[in-house]
Amino acid sequence: MALLETEDLVKEFGGVVANDDVSIGIEEGERVSLIGPNGAGKSTFINLVTGLLEPTSGDIRFKGESILDHEPHEVVQQGISKSFQTASIFPELSVADNARIAGLAAEHGSFRFNFLTRLDDYPEVEDVARETLESVELWGQREVPAEDLPYGDKRRLELGIALAAEPDLLLLDEPTAGMSPEETEATVDLIERVREERGLTYLFVEHDMEIVFNVSDRIVVLHRGRVIAEGTPDEVRGDPEVQEAYLGGVEA
Amino acid sequence: MSPDSGADRSPEDVGATADGMGETDGGTGFVDGSTLARWDRISGNERAVVGLTALAVLLFPYLFAEAPVISSILSGYHGLTTLILIWGIFAMGYDLLHGYTGLLSFGHAAFWGMGGMVAGWLVQFFGIDFPLVLVFVGLVAGVLLAWLIGFLSLRRGGIYFAILTLAFGQMFYFTMFGPLGGITGGEDGLLLEIGPLLGIIPLSGGVPVLTPLGFAGSWLYMLVGVFTVVSVAVAYRVLNSPYGLVFRAIRENEQRAEFVGLNVWRYKLVAFIISGGFAGLAGALFTIYNGSSSASTFYWIVSGDVVIMSIIGGVGTLFGGFLGAGLYLYMSNVLSTSIGSLWHLLLGISFVLVVWLFPDGLWGGIERLRWFVRLAIDDPGAARQHLVDVARAYVDATVAFALRIVRFPMRLVSLVSGGSS
Repeated sequence: MALLETEDLVKEFGGVVANDDVSIGIEEGERVSLIGPNGAGKSTFINLVTGLLEPTSGDIRFKGESILDHEPHEVVQQGISKSFQTASIFPELSVADNARIAGLAAEHGSFRFNFLTRLDDYPEVEDVARETLESVELWGQREVPAEDLPYGDKRRLELGIALAAEPDLLLLDEPTAGMSPEETEATVDLIERVREERGLTYLFVEHDMEIVFNVSDRIVVLHRGRVIAEGTPDEVRGDPEVQEAYLGGVEA
Repeated sequence: MSPDSGADRSPEDVGATADGMGETDGGTGFVDGSTLARWDRISGNERAVVGLTALAVLLFPYLFAEAPVISSILSGYHGLTTLILIWGIFAMGYDLLHGYTGLLSFGHAAFWGMGGMVAGWLVQFFGIDFPLVLVFVGLVAGVLLAWLIGFLSLRRGGIYFAILTLAFGQMFYFTMFGPLGGITGGEDGLLLEIGPLLGIIPLSGGVPVLTPLGFAGSWLYMLVGVFTVVSVAVAYRVLNSPYGLVFRAIRENEQRAEFVGLNVWRYKLVAFIISGGFAGLAGALFTIYNGSSSASTFYWIVSGDVVIMSIIGGVGTLFGGFLGAGLYLYMSNVLSTSIGSLWHLLLGISFVLVVWLFPDGLWGGIERLRWFVRLAIDDPGAARQHLVDVARAYVDATVAFALRIVRFPMRLVSLVSGGSS
């Protein structure tokens, strides 16, 4: 049974079909990349899976159960976490507090009536926060306000926040966007290392095929909302339709 | 915290730590030490906060209304001290919502008004006039109404949320005046006879020892003072609970909070309800203070007043609300007797000045001052340099602002001539 499975997923915005009968399956432990030129419907797909958008039709199943009517926080609690395209952090709070927030959500679920209990009475939240910061190598900067971190570190903190939820599936929405080649390499290494440590399954969303080439078991290519190719990196790279789409994408 | 670690912190940090929360001790849980030691330190903080609040509540009437020189310069009086604390509770509760959770409500008059009105009804129609019961009922009324209005208003964010709260608030105002005018007393309000405290102590009576010494005007002040201390303790605890962190997470980045798996909507609702509870409690105290309740407490200007108080006092500072309420009420009650309605202008000017000079309000200003004094003691050279930097920054900002004003007509001219060519 696939970990995540979408079945004939359709999303229309007015007359525009952003996702057209997208059926994708991701097996546990697999490294899948979803690529496609700008406007191919990658972000829409992510937003459908995370529950931010409601599909027009079709079904999304996670661990065999439909997650169609779930709110984003419920989807996260089910085990799908998302790393954002931009460094989506809590800027004015310290790095440690950023991690604590993630730890709180991971340990306490989506909501609890504990507004008269001290945060310090929950050492498990501290533990998760500490582990998170250590795994993304930001433990040394824990007292720095998050907004003062360099961009690459912000992205790593963001990734840490996404990982604190201990997801079964991590959605990475262009995690290297806006990064220098060195930062990109470091981030890709970090993702690989974390995956090995935690046995993570991930879906890497990217418009640049080269970045995902080395870190994917399987690549799914979206174009104008439809899946036009699927296979190992080599198969996908040689696919004439994919080349056409990418060249066409440049033209458009 | 060691004194030298305070020296390299910028004043911007100070605002964030003004509330004495987690960051103050540099990431509480990460400091080495047993859980017990940690607990001791935190509860020590809490005890210190509550103790200092109690001390401030005791000293305030003396300094404001009795102390030689100060009180005559201020021309303060006891009645105002009670009023300031009541509005301070209201503003502090409001800050939990606005300052910490980042939700700007323009409808908090509804909870304040409802707390006061329900207390009034209890006296008028049921003959229940125990002050403690009235306050409790006011609290419950505030909570329930905030639940309802929050449930409906929090469907939208940002300015739409603000407008919805304003609309609901005004709806209650008109309902109280019009259809329910018969039981709210309409324009006249309800004139009430508030019973003695615990059935025996008349609220207007003096407190043994304390009143002769000038530390409390009457038992009424003691009642309000005790609720002030309890309110501060509860609010402080809430801010140091997981909720405090989640509230600030929502303020900082609502979408991210949702995507770490927090049910943002419910946390926002709880923030709204808690602040509504404080408003209801304060409203009931207001009714007890006035010996009457009136539908005019529901008016939207009241919602605006509490916003102004909390901003003047300092957004996201917890205690700022009391300072904001103090300044506002001092102007409207004391200065207004000498300068008439000019006090509105003065309030406006001080509002602009506070926002301009101390973006984190009066409380933030005090925190900066404290930080600066410590810096001056530790390192006078750095303190002088800081003063120069700050002065330069203000001059630069003022010049830039003036230039923009001067250039505006020119830009307008060039825009118009450019558009016609």
